[in-house]
Amino acid sequence: MIELNGLTKIYQKNVRGMLDISLRIERGEIFGFIGPNGAGKSTTVRTLLNLIYPTSGTATIDGKDIVKDAKAIRRQVGYIPSEVHFYASMDVQSFLDFSGRFYGRDFQARQRELVALLDLDVTRKIDALSFGNKKKVAIVAALQHAPKVLILDEPTSGLDPLHQHAFFDLLLAEKAQGTTIFFSSHILSEVEKICDRVGVIKNGELIQVSPIETLRKSTVKRVSLIVKEPFESRSKRIKDLIIDGDKVSFVYTGPIAQLLKIVDAQAIHDLTIENPSLEEIFMHVYERGTA
Amino acid sequence: MKNLIVNDFKRLFKSLVLWTVIVGGLALLMLLLFPAFEDIYADLEALLEGYPQGFLEAFGLGEDGLVLENIYGWFGVEGYLFVLLIGSVYAGLLGGSILSKEEDDQTIEFLLTRPITRSEIYLSKLLVIMVNLLILNAVVAAVLGVTFATLDTMNWMLWALFSGAPIILHMIFASTSLLISVFVTKSRTVMSIALGLVVGLYVVDIISSLSESAENLKYITPYEYVNAVTIVNDGRLEPLYLAISAAIIVVTLLLGWGFYRKKDITA
Repeated sequence: MIELNGLTKIYQKNVRGMLDISLRIERGEIFGFIGPNGAGKSTTVRTLLNLIYPTSGTATIDGKDIVKDAKAIRRQVGYIPSEVHFYASMDVQSFLDFSGRFYGRDFQARQRELVALLDLDVTRKIDALSFGNKKKVAIVAALQHAPKVLILDEPTSGLDPLHQHAFFDLLLAEKAQGTTIFFSSHILSEVEKICDRVGVIKNGELIQVSPIETLRKSTVKRVSLIVKEPFESRSKRIKDLIIDGDKVSFVYTGPIAQLLKIVDAQAIHDLTIENPSLEEIFMHVYERGTA
Repeated sequence: MKNLIVNDFKRLFKSLVLWTVIVGGLALLMLLLFPAFEDIYADLEALLEGYPQGFLEAFGLGEDGLVLENIYGWFGVEGYLFVLLIGSVYAGLLGGSILSKEEDDQTIEFLLTRPITRSEIYLSKLLVIMVNLLILNAVVAAVLGVTFATLDTMNWMLWALFSGAPIILHMIFASTSLLISVFVTKSRTVMSIALGLVVGLYVVDIISSLSESAENLKYITPYEYVNAVTIVNDGRLEPLYLAISAAIIVVTLLLGWGFYRKKDITA
């Protein structure tokens, strides 16, 4: 559904936005696009929407070229920006209608549904809205015309947990209908909840793409020990070692048998081995650079 | 496209009304002063004798210039300038802000993610500019028509020229400002530049008519292209100037379109 082939954007003065990104996202998939601020997430999103032109490489959405067929693509796409900037002097209702009219299809019923679901007051002026409420307007504007593809750039920022939950339910319902979702975020926990696969971007390069399950099942373990004698290990597989008296904790990467050997060599009172949070796996991927 | 045009037109309607009232009102005011001066025309003429020739020329008076005796000469000296100058300020501000405001307010990100191309956005904005300038000038034309006919004998040719020529000048400033606004998107900056252009070139126009040595400057100031003296005394616009005007408008619009089509919209 979405396909990127060596997509590259070099800004002026050789600042690289994204480098040689190739990626394939299937119909009905929710793809998480993860990386810290400045890694190139927004550059990728803006290129897919042809807000900026790629320096080289190509990409297609639903078989249409992102540069040549930008208008046809926009007709099928719903976009939620990270920062919402709408016409300040318009009220929410006329703004949503203005947005809907661009698509030349009926959107009123869906609009009312979404407005009710998100508790949006449509009589208010855009510039009188809080950040979270603006985000809700953006969500309605992105979904009311029943797009085939959703491109989301930090969509939940500003939403309270209740509406965040409603929003995720909305995305899952969209997915069930075959909508493809490109979900860019720097918050792993939200991606973890909803995405099928995750791509990690660093300094403009896509360094890892894996199903969320694989990422979670990776042999990265958070290990906590209570030791009888001072902890000693020179294994390179141990990271983030914290020793606080008899309490020792670290993150381990590698074969589990190897971990057991390390632990076995130690006289211990207690042992806990946990799956780390995605956040920790993520940090780990970042330290290694590639995976 | 229609959706965007209608929305922009509505959004800008208040300012159109305001500027139309100002420009039309000033033209009307100056025209209504004509009967009062008509009676003391001889005194006025004597008074003007005292001024140096160059100074008079700057206002379209003096030898080979306009005479204040009929309403066309009077309007050429006293009212036309307001239509040119203030109308151009409006045209410059409108042309400079209509497209760049979307970028300055970052609403372009919303707009350009609807099913619309950059070219369609550019064309929509251009159409709104043209429609607004036509409305303003149509109102002024109506004011002129009524007052010319009431206060003097109607000359349809001069009426058409006085009504039509400002549109050319306004389009020159609007299209130039539009082109600039493709590169300079900060509202304040682009408005200052547009305003500077409109006023600056008027100053150039005055200098070119004041001083013999600076006469060639007249080719670079579009005020000269729609000069009242040529309109009233020759009953036409200079074909060379018309050609230059058309070229400026077409080239700036095409350049603006060309650059805008390829422009990156960064956050």
